[in-house]
Amino acid sequence: MNILDFFRGKAVTIPPMDGALKPNRSLDEAALVVAHAEPDNLVADGHSLFFTAGAQLLELAHGARQARVVETFPAAITALAKSEDDAWAVALQSGAVLVREKREAWREIASFKCPVALAFGAGQFLYLGNGSEAHPPSAWAHDLMAKGSSGSVWRLALHAGERERLADGLAFPFGIAVDHAGGRLLVSESWRHRVLAIPSAGGAPQPVLAKLPGYPGRISDRRGQGFLLCLFAPRNRLIELVLQEDAYRMDMMAEIPRDYWVAPALASGKTFLEPLQCGGVRTMGIHKPWSPSRSYGLVVELGADAEPIASHHSRADGKRHGIVSAVEWLGHITAAARGGDCIVRIAAHGGGEA
Amino acid sequence: MTLRETLQRWRYNFIPDHLLGEILTKRWADNAIPFLAMVATVAGFGLAIPGFFKPSSLVESTRQLGEFTIVVIGLSVVMLAGGIDLSVGSIFALAAFAAVSTFFIFGLPVWVALLSALAVGALFGAFNGYLVGYLRLRAFLTTLVTLVIGRALYDILVINFAAAVQQSDVSSPIWDFIGDGQFMGLSMAVIIALVLAVIAHVALTRSRPGWHILAVGGSRRSAHNSGIRVRETVFMSYVVSGLCAGLAGFLIACRLSGAGPGTGLNLEMLAITAAVVGGNSLGGGRGSIAKAVMGAIIVMMMNNSLIRLGFGTGTNQMVLGLMLAAAVTLDIRWLKNRHKVLNEVYVAPVHVRLPETPSALPGSGSSFALNNVLSKADAIGLGELEGPEDVILDRDDHLYCGTRHGEIVRFFAPDYRRSEVFAHTGGFPLGLAFAQDGTLLSCVGAMGLYAISPRGEVRQLSAETNRSYRSIVDDARLRDPNDLDVAPDGRIFFTDSTTRYDAHDWTLDSIENRPTGRLLVHDPKTGITRTLLDNYRYTNGVCLAHDGKSVLFAESWACRVHRYWLEGPKAGTAECLIDGMPGYPDNINRASDGTYWMAWLGMRTPSFDLSLRHPSFRKHMTRRLPNDEWLFPNINTGGVVKFDEQGTIIQTMGDLTGVSHPMVTSMREHKGHLFIGGILNNRIGRFKIEGADPNWTGMSSYWGSRS
Repeated sequence: MNILDFFRGKAVTIPPMDGALKPNRSLDEAALVVAHAEPDNLVADGHSLFFTAGAQLLELAHGARQARVVETFPAAITALAKSEDDAWAVALQSGAVLVREKREAWREIASFKCPVALAFGAGQFLYLGNGSEAHPPSAWAHDLMAKGSSGSVWRLALHAGERERLADGLAFPFGIAVDHAGGRLLVSESWRHRVLAIPSAGGAPQPVLAKLPGYPGRISDRRGQGFLLCLFAPRNRLIELVLQEDAYRMDMMAEIPRDYWVAPALASGKTFLEPLQCGGVRTMGIHKPWSPSRSYGLVVELGADAEPIASHHSRADGKRHGIVSAVEWLGHITAAARGGDCIVRIAAHGGGEA
Repeated sequence: MTLRETLQRWRYNFIPDHLLGEILTKRWADNAIPFLAMVATVAGFGLAIPGFFKPSSLVESTRQLGEFTIVVIGLSVVMLAGGIDLSVGSIFALAAFAAVSTFFIFGLPVWVALLSALAVGALFGAFNGYLVGYLRLRAFLTTLVTLVIGRALYDILVINFAAAVQQSDVSSPIWDFIGDGQFMGLSMAVIIALVLAVIAHVALTRSRPGWHILAVGGSRRSAHNSGIRVRETVFMSYVVSGLCAGLAGFLIACRLSGAGPGTGLNLEMLAITAAVVGGNSLGGGRGSIAKAVMGAIIVMMMNNSLIRLGFGTGTNQMVLGLMLAAAVTLDIRWLKNRHKVLNEVYVAPVHVRLPETPSALPGSGSSFALNNVLSKADAIGLGELEGPEDVILDRDDHLYCGTRHGEIVRFFAPDYRRSEVFAHTGGFPLGLAFAQDGTLLSCVGAMGLYAISPRGEVRQLSAETNRSYRSIVDDARLRDPNDLDVAPDGRIFFTDSTTRYDAHDWTLDSIENRPTGRLLVHDPKTGITRTLLDNYRYTNGVCLAHDGKSVLFAESWACRVHRYWLEGPKAGTAECLIDGMPGYPDNINRASDGTYWMAWLGMRTPSFDLSLRHPSFRKHMTRRLPNDEWLFPNINTGGVVKFDEQGTIIQTMGDLTGVSHPMVTSMREHKGHLFIGGILNNRIGRFKIEGADPNWTGMSSYWGSRS
């Protein structure tokens, strides 16, 4: 307790980007794989890279320049998973969770308010992260600014129609990866800036990675080589202050269109109606890369023990913001920048070593 | 408006929070705590002791206070010079003895007794000063030695000569008057102490030796480096202290007509406590005579009252010790944290509800809709210029602008590739205008109104206006002179945007949104500057109307443009011309077709507009977040707006890419082109205007074609 806190209240602080999270320009320097509006949900196999954009599931074959539409769904796709034996699962903005096995037809196996994360487990199981009971997936920012913590993690049987809740009371479980070696799930709990471990068989969640400087999103497995964690938006001290200022926050949510909120975003600087912070003022033609920003690009390489090893950044002055999904494809980290409208390939072990 | 918003409005708009910050910027603010302590002590003990405030009682109790105050004043001078004088008690006693023996034993006149007391004081002070100042011994130990030797000497003298004093039958009405008399209800000791306090105060704050003492105490090395004779100054401070102790010794000699073993015992403890409790820093350099006097009153009051209330010596010493401990702690904590507290409390936001505004989004169909045409402007001075807030062209088509380095740069026609530094002002030149004789006039940020001759000689026209009675900060000073224009009779109309922030902190004024902007007029014939209008939210651009009958000026944070009438039935009054704009207006200038150009320095955002209705949010923001994180209006997008005499918007242009002209603070039409400046930009833009008069220039519009 500082003596000045008596006069001003406690200073709002956030964890620094340091150590393995030291900023670099790796994402901005990464090679472009394909430019596409709002790509999301990367899934790779030995040959092709699959991704979604809006209601479309697309495939980009190795060496191809254009993505091919594989399937179009009735609503925007919010999560995608593919198993080793070619089973597919998608979740939609409408809440439906669909599964397709062995090239049969898609069938709906469950429906949730806010399905945002999917991962196939060993056997006939699908793990699902339901972000919120109050808001659909597209309204994630609303759930954050409403301080939502009604998310849950489920285990769904593909056939029997069984469902089991593994955890609830979570603040937006935005990503799930199965840690086969550890017999556990890694779940990113976005609004609490941490990654939880939940035993596959059920049990209490334990934080394995906390005090992240951004909002963790999807996690992907690198098959024994650790994991890739996407931080889709940065933490920002002004936003953390707004979260404390209830009157302002409530009025903001009630009166202002969501794109113009003082809230994290996948991209920023698109219109002059967005909020601006002092450090972000363009001076002598320069936008300072370290200035506070509502959006950022960040992929973190985690070791097998879920500790950060290296990271890849697109800073405040960069364009490849809002990294929502990253996978390893043909030996390269491949990341979807939903805010930057592109998919990029990071050179192996490029730039991000701490 | 909701009840909560109404309550917030009352709370933040009617309670003057900003005064706290303004008071803290004043040096006399340091006196607040000792002053309150003094009032509390006097009131508390005054009420506790019956008959305390009776005149007869007051005269007696203040007699001792007068002597004590004189000692504390001397000691404070030493402390201000960075030293300490423990020997004041001994000197005091020896001086008393000198006066008594001169008068009673040798039977010499009173004035000789006074001189002998002063001589003893000066001698011992000089001894201290020589050792501490010239031989550079430690002040604490040196004066401790003087204390011990002086006290020993005094004890020997008193034992041998006390009887001789008592048996003497010398008497003098002057001696008795000084000791017992009173003049206009005040004892001589109090009168002398008051006179001395005034002299010492004036000497310390208004004279060269006084400034030297404070400088030496503040930083010995800096004082030495700036040519102050440090050793001599230190020496003199001890002599002053010795003289004060000598004078006080003479007064007590008159009062008691004798000297006993208790005279001046422990006086140094009381005096040091008084000086520190008053707020004089032990480290030197910070303090004042007012503080010394307040400290003396507090300590003397406390000491005597505890005795009169029947507490023993132990209690008395304990209270003094605790007071000293508290004062020293407060002194150090305050010294360390004062600027932090000031930073924390200075920004004092108010509630503002801006009117609804038409959208400025491209394609929104409103007359304010921004486009991208300014991004096509040619760049002048790219990579060389920093911060051309305003731009202007002369009769020979040369282009002038200010830079944040304090220069006015001239680009040569016709291609504006070559440039030279035309003049150096030392401040940040903002608004520019040409007078009829070709003199360039400029509002220089944080400095004032300046004139630059065609040969580049810089001359100050005005740096102050009339002082208002309601302001605590000195609002006579021009703090943020921003833009100006010249009337046909030569009078210069200009704005001073805020009295709360310096020019480089201009954006912070938007967070606060307190109306302190002014419209001023300077008459070069008389050299006098007057305030015409006050209480606008950041007055900015100024432009004389085409007919010369009124002045247009922008009120940036309120997103308004006003007209101030110079002539006609409404002369001397202002009316709002444009209200509820979606952008923040900056400079205004004439266009060739009889209309006006206005720069937008930034755009309103819903989040910032909402924060204006939540002053408590902004207050917390300024206290809990570092400056870089604060929510700002969007000053990364600006524009240029054309409007006519009636305030109708004709055209709006912008640069939505934000690469060439993110923020626009000025524009000037010249021979069919628009020249665009930005205070945070690294270039001037040159943009061809469709359909503009290719021969029109600002100089000919104001002053006619060249004769």
